[in-house]
Amino acid sequence: MSTFPISFLGGVDPASGTILDPECDSEGENISGKVFCFPFGKGSTVGSYAMYQLKLGGHAPAAIINDSAEPIIATGAIIADIPMVDGVDVSLLRSGDLVDVDADEEYVELPDVVEKHVVTSIVKSKGKLLLLRRSDKVGSYRGQWAGVSGFIEPHERDDEAARRELAEEIAAEKIRIVRKIDPLRFRDKGTIWCVHPFLVEVKNTKIRIDWEHRSFEWISPDEIGRFRTVPGLQQVISRLIGD
Amino acid sequence: MHLTKQEERTLSGEEGFGRQKAMELVVALGEIYRAKRLIPITSAQISGASFKTIGDAGIKFLEDFSHEAKVSVRASLNPLGLDERRWQSMGVDKKFFDKQARIISAYKSMGVELLYTCTPYLAGNRPRQGQHIAWAESSATVFANSYLGAMTNREGGPSALAAAVIGKTAEYGLHLEENRRPRVRIDIKVIPDGMVPLTGYLVGKLAGKRVPFVNGPSMSEDEHKSFGAAMAAAGAVSMYAFSDSKRRKSTNTSQIEERLSIDARDIQDCADGLKGDDAWDLVAIGCPHCSPSELRTMARALKNRTPRKKSDVWFCTSRMVFARCPKEVAVLRKFGNVLCDTCMVVAPIESSYRRTASDSGKAMVYLPTLGKQKASFRSTKQLLEAISR
Repeated sequence: MSTFPISFLGGVDPASGTILDPECDSEGENISGKVFCFPFGKGSTVGSYAMYQLKLGGHAPAAIINDSAEPIIATGAIIADIPMVDGVDVSLLRSGDLVDVDADEEYVELPDVVEKHVVTSIVKSKGKLLLLRRSDKVGSYRGQWAGVSGFIEPHERDDEAARRELAEEIAAEKIRIVRKIDPLRFRDKGTIWCVHPFLVEVKNTKIRIDWEHRSFEWISPDEIGRFRTVPGLQQVISRLIGD
Repeated sequence: MHLTKQEERTLSGEEGFGRQKAMELVVALGEIYRAKRLIPITSAQISGASFKTIGDAGIKFLEDFSHEAKVSVRASLNPLGLDERRWQSMGVDKKFFDKQARIISAYKSMGVELLYTCTPYLAGNRPRQGQHIAWAESSATVFANSYLGAMTNREGGPSALAAAVIGKTAEYGLHLEENRRPRVRIDIKVIPDGMVPLTGYLVGKLAGKRVPFVNGPSMSEDEHKSFGAAMAAAGAVSMYAFSDSKRRKSTNTSQIEERLSIDARDIQDCADGLKGDDAWDLVAIGCPHCSPSELRTMARALKNRTPRKKSDVWFCTSRMVFARCPKEVAVLRKFGNVLCDTCMVVAPIESSYRRTASDSGKAMVYLPTLGKQKASFRSTKQLLEAISR
């Protein structure tokens, strides 16, 4: 894994497959026979040939996964016959993950990681946002602050799930969905949370919470940093209320 | 991307492994840049010829690939790391020579034309206006697009070779008319004597990735050659449009979003910044390779002078131009080495020299990095005066 761009010329030792680039989080690790994940390539065009040399020496990665393919890496992958898949958010991958890569069908699977679809509604009223503190009775992220969240049931649309959770958790019925954005994904250990975010408006700030939460607060958007939140909540909020 | 039945067959390997690999490469790059289809090319220019730039990894790839592939369109080769005949006089060792020889024979067996120059357009491979080509070598690419009106992206060595093998490239970037329209206008009132390369260098810095419209003094073909080369080395520019009353070429300026200017002061500041000092052990002229008229001008200037011999001197040109100018070569030889097939950028000059003076804006970009040199910019005239009396 590298969260930084990689150059195969100078960044990886052609004789051993060891990562030399000190900027790379996996400096000193060996890529031979492993699936090598990094956002994209950088540096000299000779990097393509360096990938070929790794292959001949038996030190090429088994596959490459990129956020976005660029010509140097794509050229190297083809001439060295290294399977490559791009368009993958490599921030969801962790060093040591088991991955299935199929470059012909262009997919990547993580057999040991489950993806869970949840809705998160950020409730807005009079310029304030509602944060709820999760109770000790819930299955995950106890005591952390969250929006109105819950699993999307099989055969349920995400907006239906959002309305159901809003009714159950804060007894809000007269709500208006102001905004819906594309799902965001967050990795937490063996789970990828696929969060479907909604921004909803309620007229009345008087709400009633159920067993899933122990308390709530109406906050202004810039206060979010003070709260220990579930993974990705800040990003969800900034995407929902940003332009 | 849409592929024809024939292209699909190539991709599936029915025409052999080499053509399959070449097709895979062209298609993969086309998909990255969202090309809709492949288009035929009339010629290719292949970079990655010097052992210094491609190393052992490059040799291995080329030798393996050469067993499988032949080029199907005219394809010429970039400069080597040495002059095939005069390499010993350049201080190149036998080990380097042997590695270089393997690269040459790999390209030769693929049917690549061994022109060994960055100016194929002065050595027989000169595309015409409107022709689609797949050229690597940034200085040749920018000349072909801007001065000759041919259409090419700035290819890498392997992608130009792959395009030459299948005779096609993916249609994106500068192959499409809409991407050739200038986005920034750069006004230049005067270019001081000998400062054309540095002006190109400044345009490259200002334009970044955008196609510039250069509204400035009229330039000769030779001047366009060095102007564009410096521009492409200093920025990601592969094409510029320019005002030229003689050619009456109309430029579509509707996409211009910014207007900038370069004045004599900017050019002087740039020259001061790249001046370095007077202590050099090599004077290198000919990046890009000298044209016949450049050799003629220099020979005329030096004819009645005597060599100073304070430093080594390289005049770099192609073997085609060399052969065409025996009288000029005879004059220049009194003052230094007239080299073919190579130049100060791709030769292993760091093994013999530490400080190099040049009149090339492109060389100012690469001498300090690739060549590990302390570089000094001087105009051609200043260099000729420094090497003679």
